[in-house]
Amino acid sequence: METGTWIGLGVIGAIVIWMISMYNGLVNLRNQVKNAWRQIDVQLKRRHELIPNLVEVTKDYMEYEQETLAKVIQARNGAVNAQGPEEAIAAEGILSGALGKLFALMENYPDLKANENVSRLMEELSSTENKIAFSRQFYNDSVMAMNNGVEVFPASMIANMFGFKQATYFEVPEEEKAVPKVNLR
Amino acid sequence: MPASKTVPCPECGALNRVHRKTCRLCGALLNPAATNKPRLQKKILRRTDFIAASRANQSATRKLVMILLAIAAVLGYLIGWTAQVSMGEIPAQAKDPLLFFSQWGLIASLILITVSLLWTWIAFKRGDRIVMKMTGAQLASMDEEQVLYNVVDEMALAAGVSRPTVYIIETDAMNAFATGMSPARASLGVTRGLLNNLSRDELQGVIGHEMGHIVNWDIRYATAVSVLVGLIALISDSILRSMYYGGGTTRHRGGGRGKNNGAAILFVVMIVFAVLAPLIARLVQMAVSRQREFLADASSVRLTRNPHGLISALEKLSGETVQFKGANRATQHLFIINPFRNFTEKASSLMSTHPPLERRIQRLRNLGGK
Repeated sequence: METGTWIGLGVIGAIVIWMISMYNGLVNLRNQVKNAWRQIDVQLKRRHELIPNLVEVTKDYMEYEQETLAKVIQARNGAVNAQGPEEAIAAEGILSGALGKLFALMENYPDLKANENVSRLMEELSSTENKIAFSRQFYNDSVMAMNNGVEVFPASMIANMFGFKQATYFEVPEEEKAVPKVNLR
Repeated sequence: MPASKTVPCPECGALNRVHRKTCRLCGALLNPAATNKPRLQKKILRRTDFIAASRANQSATRKLVMILLAIAAVLGYLIGWTAQVSMGEIPAQAKDPLLFFSQWGLIASLILITVSLLWTWIAFKRGDRIVMKMTGAQLASMDEEQVLYNVVDEMALAAGVSRPTVYIIETDAMNAFATGMSPARASLGVTRGLLNNLSRDELQGVIGHEMGHIVNWDIRYATAVSVLVGLIALISDSILRSMYYGGGTTRHRGGGRGKNNGAAILFVVMIVFAVLAPLIARLVQMAVSRQREFLADASSVRLTRNPHGLISALEKLSGETVQFKGANRATQHLFIINPFRNFTEKASSLMSTHPPLERRIQRLRNLGGK
């Protein structure tokens, strides 16, 4: 074979290797996004499990707050039964608002905070709130990495060829952005 | 590099050419008088970009490991050469009794490189457990340390890694460290004093800093470096010792053969090397770990999105008065604040493993904390 053929083959080989590495990089990014989404799910489930316990132990102390407790339970059931991601995001937003109000009200009950079971549960639940926020943050970071990978030239050519799509950010719903209002009477 | 053409960076100690305005390693200003130029400030901001900084940090560390391996090779060659000369095994075709290609030296150098690599490999397999033993850390109980475990879980989620093994050191001193060979198999230790004195937000900042070390792969590089530095120190120590005890006998044996002169030169060279090598190795080790502290601080803010927690934690740590006895020279660079720092003097010289706390706090404020 002539030199030209060899050079041609070399160039083709280099392009194929480049394509493979680009493709693998995109697959990694896509899996990271999927995994990050599952992490949010895990934390939301944990929150749903913890809420009934907290309501159970606080019920006796907070006699005058039955309405707030009922709202928390209602919001929790709404979140558990939500269908599809959009409905779920909205329901979780309502639940966050209700929980925030409950936490703020609990500050008024020193007996309640002195109870070790309650304080453990509260730490667990507020940590779960943090974990939801952090896993969402990691999800959005992963989405950004994925979208950069899909959009940036020349990787975008590979992305188009194999149908890699941009992922959607987890937007914080409006009611969650608002500071929960506490009625101090 | 001629000394007159370079300036040391005030923050990480790397040598820079005189005309440079920012440090080539950490991006710090070399001439503080030039601060008011907006063009420069933009450049510094760009340098706090995490991916670029992490890449720069990693390539610097790779170079460092190469340098250390080269030192091991040169040391090995010198040992072999000295042995060959002092045993009188100079090859017949050698024109000069001192300047010749030493086969013993080559062999010794290869052996030393192999030993270094082997040593590194062992450390990579068991490094974290060895470090934990050295510091006297105990596995934290999941039931009793609820808040600590929760904070670690939160930071692991934010960084997208699995939870590292959590250890506690029972001491009143405040400190924290991370070790391990990969983000998937990392360990993290905090002292009891830290848990007792910091608020939840501050603890989160500190754990975020350690998580930064983990996800930037600092833990692996730190162990590799400390292992190689430790090996070189061990070898030069033993050279110094053998010279001290063996020096006299050689002089008696070699007397009257004209070898006295050569042996004397050899001694000088060897002593210079034995003194210089650990010093060089230690200086490089320190320069690298200071850049990493800045990077881990920045990573902590990226994870927590809240610089205030870490700032107030560092302020509390700077008021630390309890001496921490669990650390030694081989593990000091793993900790969030230098366990050996001088409590009266501002440690800003080249010989420090950690940047001064004020400078770290100042940099965090630049990242958006007030």
